[in-house]
Amino acid sequence: MPPVTAVVHVAGLEKVFRVPEREAGLRASVRSLYARRWRDVRAVDGVSFDLEPGEVVGFLGPNGAGKTTTLKMLSGLLHPTGGEVTVLGHVPWRRERDYLRRITLVMGNRNQLQWDLPALDSFELNRAIYRLPRQQFTETRDELIELLDIEDLVRKPVRQLSLGERMKVEVVGSLLHLPQVLFLDEPTIGLDVTMQKRIRNFVAAYNERYGATVLLTSHYMADVEALCKRVVVIHHGQMLFDGKLEALADRFGAYKTIEAVLADGETISMQVPRNETSSATARLLAENDVSDLTVEDPPIEDVIEQVFAS
Amino acid sequence: MKLAWTYLRLGVLNEMQYRANFFVAIVQSLLGVAVAIAVLALVYSKTNALNGWTQSELLVVLGVQILLGGVIHATVQPNMERLTQEVQDGKLDFALSKPADSQLLISLRELRLWQLVDVMSGGIVIAVGVSRLGRSVGVGHAFAFLALLVIGASLLYCFWLILATGSFWVVSMWFLSDLFEGIYQVGRWPIGVYPGWLRYSMTYLVPIGFAVTVPAQALTHRLAWTTVLVAVAFAIVVFLVARRFWRFGVTKYSGASA
Repeated sequence: MPPVTAVVHVAGLEKVFRVPEREAGLRASVRSLYARRWRDVRAVDGVSFDLEPGEVVGFLGPNGAGKTTTLKMLSGLLHPTGGEVTVLGHVPWRRERDYLRRITLVMGNRNQLQWDLPALDSFELNRAIYRLPRQQFTETRDELIELLDIEDLVRKPVRQLSLGERMKVEVVGSLLHLPQVLFLDEPTIGLDVTMQKRIRNFVAAYNERYGATVLLTSHYMADVEALCKRVVVIHHGQMLFDGKLEALADRFGAYKTIEAVLADGETISMQVPRNETSSATARLLAENDVSDLTVEDPPIEDVIEQVFAS
Repeated sequence: MKLAWTYLRLGVLNEMQYRANFFVAIVQSLLGVAVAIAVLALVYSKTNALNGWTQSELLVVLGVQILLGGVIHATVQPNMERLTQEVQDGKLDFALSKPADSQLLISLRELRLWQLVDVMSGGIVIAVGVSRLGRSVGVGHAFAFLALLVIGASLLYCFWLILATGSFWVVSMWFLSDLFEGIYQVGRWPIGVYPGWLRYSMTYLVPIGFAVTVPAQALTHRLAWTTVLVAVAFAIVVFLVARRFWRFGVTKYSGASA
């Protein structure tokens, strides 16, 4: 049984896709018309984690690691091949309305607003789909619009918005029903740094205000560092790590960076293997006249790279 | 209901943005009607009756075919095209993650308002045909006609839905619209003029006979009331089958990986 407190419970989750396989070229493609060979692809292969209420967790992994597949199983779009999933006490793939009303799925590379109309019209549609009472809907809508500062944008046809503007509007549209669980699949993909930051702050504000649980994938470590205390890392569909973000560096960061400012103003920077940090620091202090010293973990990007390489 | 209304409103708003399409649709519709009437005239310059149908009666059949075609082109077809497209590129994710009946949702999302021009021109052709019959149409028959039109439209909808649901397996179904157009042209003539095998398949396999010929029968005093009962029963069965099939198809949805 899952712990009572967990909002999201995933245990031994598996998804196997059967995909047709063939060589490149015309002859092979003709042959595949009558004699198809199939191959099983284990997209998700034994993933387990629990999310507590109000947690914001980063879900990391290289392209093709199975992140999106997992999110789709969590939001009820895909049937798991094996394992256990419950979210808010529901089994997602049954797609009960009570369940779907309490979650949202945002995909950074897709758009679900009416292309030719102002977003406000699309919001009305969501009101009908989620059967929101008029007053509650208007209040939430105005609040979210204000929070992201997009009063002007929601009145323009969506096709006239830039990528970043569209994403802001999109996110507001996905939260109008005040979901308790947010599945965000690369919500900041392709956005510039300022825009990423806006979206990030907004997610943080929403999480704080409504106590929502958030599972977020992103290739931008700044997103993860700003939002997530905890990360779950998968690779080839398998669990690699689940724990505090800092612990990830402890476990996978192979080196630390030591920077010293000498008395004469010269700076020394060196990378040393993690287990030699203290001896290297001691040596540095003994041999030089040091006025300032910092020992840092490598940037999280480097750690992640290390993780996926291993 | 509320959902349908909201989608209708959005569809109208959407189409209002492209008013040029309205004129294109009018020209298209007029051209279609003109060609069809010319063909009719050609046939009837050689004969007085086709399988017992006079020229005026065939005008009614033609009108029903145009009218119903307009309804399908405006509502069903764009939705089903979008469905097959979204199964292919994975955008169906969004529709499936909404707390509403998925079949209802995917059937309501699109509206091509200007295609409804065909409903008007079809209506005019029907009116001309009926007035030339020289026999008045009673209230009962008019009512039966409307009811049968609705049944016909829902049969064609189910037919489309079943085909489009196939895209969960086949993935690429771009040919569906062309296929439907081809088959639908058959409905221009009363189903009785075709040889037996074609007549049966066009009645039960592809419900063009029920959709077009049967409503036209109501206006031309050819309708047997048992036909109405069969049509109703058939429509209910087909609807249930289509719904079942849709539900089954959705479980096969794999989504395009992002």
